[in-house]
Amino acid sequence: MVKLAGLGTYLPPWGSARGRVAGPDEDALTLGVAAARAALTAAGLASSDGSADVETAAAVGVRRVVFVTRELPLLVGGNAAALLAGIGLAADVAVVEQVGGAPAVLDALAGAAPGTLVVAADAPQAGQPAGAAAALVGPDDTAGPAGGVGVELVGRVVRSLPVHSQAFGEPAIRDYSDARLERERGVGVAVERLELAEKPVVAAGLAAKQAAALCAGSPPALPTLGASSALFAIAALHELGSGGVVLATEQASATAVRVDGPPAAVRRDEPAPLAPEKATRTPGPDIAISLPAYERAFDAKLRWEAGRCDACGTLALPPRRRCLSCGSEAGWTLAPLPRSGEVYTTVTVHVPVPGMPTPYSLAIVELDGGVDVRALVKVTGAKPGTARIGDRGRLVLRRVAVRSGVPDYGYALFPNTPAQSVAGEAATGTTEGAAR
Amino acid sequence: MRRVAVAGAGMTAFGEHFGLGIKDLVPMAVSEMAAHVDKGLDRADIQAAWFGELTTTDGFPTGILADTCGLLDIPVTRVENACATGNDAVRNATFAVASGAFDVVLVVGADKVRESSARATFWEWAGLTRDMAWDYPLGLVAPANFALHVARYLHESPATREHLAMVAVKNHRHAVPNPKAQLRYEITVEQALNAPVVVEPFRLFDCTPQSDGAAALLLVAEDVVDRYTDRPVWVRGVGLGLDRVMHQHKRDMTTFPPTVKAARAAYAMAGLGPADIDVAEVHDCFTGVELISYEDLGFAERFGAHKLIEDGTTAIGGSKPVNPSGGLKAKGHPPGATGVAQCVELFEQLRGEAANQVDGARTALAHNIGGPTAVSAITILSSDRG
Repeated sequence: MVKLAGLGTYLPPWGSARGRVAGPDEDALTLGVAAARAALTAAGLASSDGSADVETAAAVGVRRVVFVTRELPLLVGGNAAALLAGIGLAADVAVVEQVGGAPAVLDALAGAAPGTLVVAADAPQAGQPAGAAAALVGPDDTAGPAGGVGVELVGRVVRSLPVHSQAFGEPAIRDYSDARLERERGVGVAVERLELAEKPVVAAGLAAKQAAALCAGSPPALPTLGASSALFAIAALHELGSGGVVLATEQASATAVRVDGPPAAVRRDEPAPLAPEKATRTPGPDIAISLPAYERAFDAKLRWEAGRCDACGTLALPPRRRCLSCGSEAGWTLAPLPRSGEVYTTVTVHVPVPGMPTPYSLAIVELDGGVDVRALVKVTGAKPGTARIGDRGRLVLRRVAVRSGVPDYGYALFPNTPAQSVAGEAATGTTEGAAR
Repeated sequence: MRRVAVAGAGMTAFGEHFGLGIKDLVPMAVSEMAAHVDKGLDRADIQAAWFGELTTTDGFPTGILADTCGLLDIPVTRVENACATGNDAVRNATFAVASGAFDVVLVVGADKVRESSARATFWEWAGLTRDMAWDYPLGLVAPANFALHVARYLHESPATREHLAMVAVKNHRHAVPNPKAQLRYEITVEQALNAPVVVEPFRLFDCTPQSDGAAALLLVAEDVVDRYTDRPVWVRGVGLGLDRVMHQHKRDMTTFPPTVKAARAAYAMAGLGPADIDVAEVHDCFTGVELISYEDLGFAERFGAHKLIEDGTTAIGGSKPVNPSGGLKAKGHPPGATGVAQCVELFEQLRGEAANQVDGARTALAHNIGGPTAVSAITILSSDRG
């Protein structure tokens, strides 16, 4: 039995009630980071204004991150450092980068040691819904909200019927295209062999209709179908107000867990969906990257930290040798920055830029908290050109560019709009139906 | 320091010179300059040269100048200071003559923006002025670089997009008689306001074209000026100003502090002020930049620039004509050449020989601002020796 100290979910702001799509500046890592931060906030390990609280999270012992997705941004080169930095965890936390779907996530969760953060992200190709969710396994004596709900493995069936497949080196997923085969000999047989004593209350990895057929009552529709759907399923128990068996399926495999009550600590970062932007993509040469410059900037850029002058305390973004204020060159120490601010000036680029989807907006943001720091960032989560001087928003991790094949992560301004729920208010989002 | 005079000036037409390389444009500008020296120029008199060029089309810049102009026996120094390169090259050459080190020197500015494909140009040029880790990947294209300032300026000042359009209309009109200008046609305010958006708030006609071209000046010491001309134009003041290189570190984006600093230095050296300027070539790479520069140069009070464009003060016929050549907006903008070419225009203005002559002009100012809006260079010229 593991105890869930917190659950977090994230849905990209693009798409419709039928399903979300990742923005051009999002990938499995940025989706996962958003969900993970929501989970840590739900668990009371990060403040609700989103400001980094790395020491607290480390102190309570987040010792391992299991990142489950089928869309790892880098197959060679590693995603772990960016994941830890984006979440705000120390660089000595172990990371497992796992390729897997919904059953793998429940397997990881049910077998997790205390202090494990399971992050599941789906950033699939066109046509499949995107989203992410994360769950923090607390120590047995977790004193979080409701003491942490318990999760226990009920059963697991591992079989092979690869009706959707992608071999190493192949550019796209191949579909065998036999829905009845998949349903009857895939999920059907898997669930049969689980020999569940009671019907699941929610089923992940399945279209809403198929899930309803397998479940007791009317199970909530889930916004994704891949890895993250397993944790969206557990989060849905919060709204259902009960515990029960949660089933996760993928093709011919399935895992079931029993959750011993409704999880109380759930935080949803699920802004209302906007119709995806029609972007112009202009082919061009690779955007160059300097890896020495990348390495020097990495911590400040991905952790959203400034250099604090050791002599006078002035913050500089990016960190710099000579203090902006007192001129000291004695040194600086990284210090967390506020993750909200106000637009000082903003422009929108319409002219085609090779390698970047256009149009896009840039903004200089005056950060909150009287820190006297401005940041030059891209605008995300809003139609280009709609952010105005004086608008407020929060700073979120995004894939700013892909440079010579390397994802270049940094922060972008997500403007607050009346139409969108402001992340930070727990459980205000609504779950949407899955795409199929 | 000795007085320094401009004794000759010449330039190529600005435009898309697909048929001409940098090795053609540089000698063309120098030869045109030499041909227009009133009493003739023996190239053997030239003792040193300064070459303003941002990019290195066809390679090694100083060698290209020496080699293509028949000046293999003199020292040549490259100046690169973003879009302020041209007036900074003038500034460095001026000090070399004023110091007594040389009596006769050459200043050349050139660039070939259209040597790369339009797609490659953006990232090539962005690399010249952006922080590689923090700014470069954001896609801060050149118009956005300035638009961040102009958006805030429009927010705080009474100026509107109509005023930006009026700058474009004025400079297009000024370019029509200028045989060296790239865009020699008039536009209307409506055309400017309804043109395709490049970077909001800039539309197509708010932006300079991409240009190739070269320009050359002959600077000489007062001691020897009589050998070359009886109608010299004097370099009265030069100035250069800098600012923080990242936009997020600029406190007030409704002004360009580099311009304020460069102007202060140039006015002080000349013993002149903004009221003394009869005609100016101002760095209008984007229309709003011309407006902000009116204030930074002291031509208008803070947030009063729109009045100058509304009432025609800065048009030909007004009391302080700006960009009679058409400016960067319509004459064109090969960055290394731009500042030098501004001085070519003002040399002609101050001798009463300009295509778009400002009546009775005696003192003139040339202004560049560039890079990550972090450098400005200014030259003050006068027909009065001072």
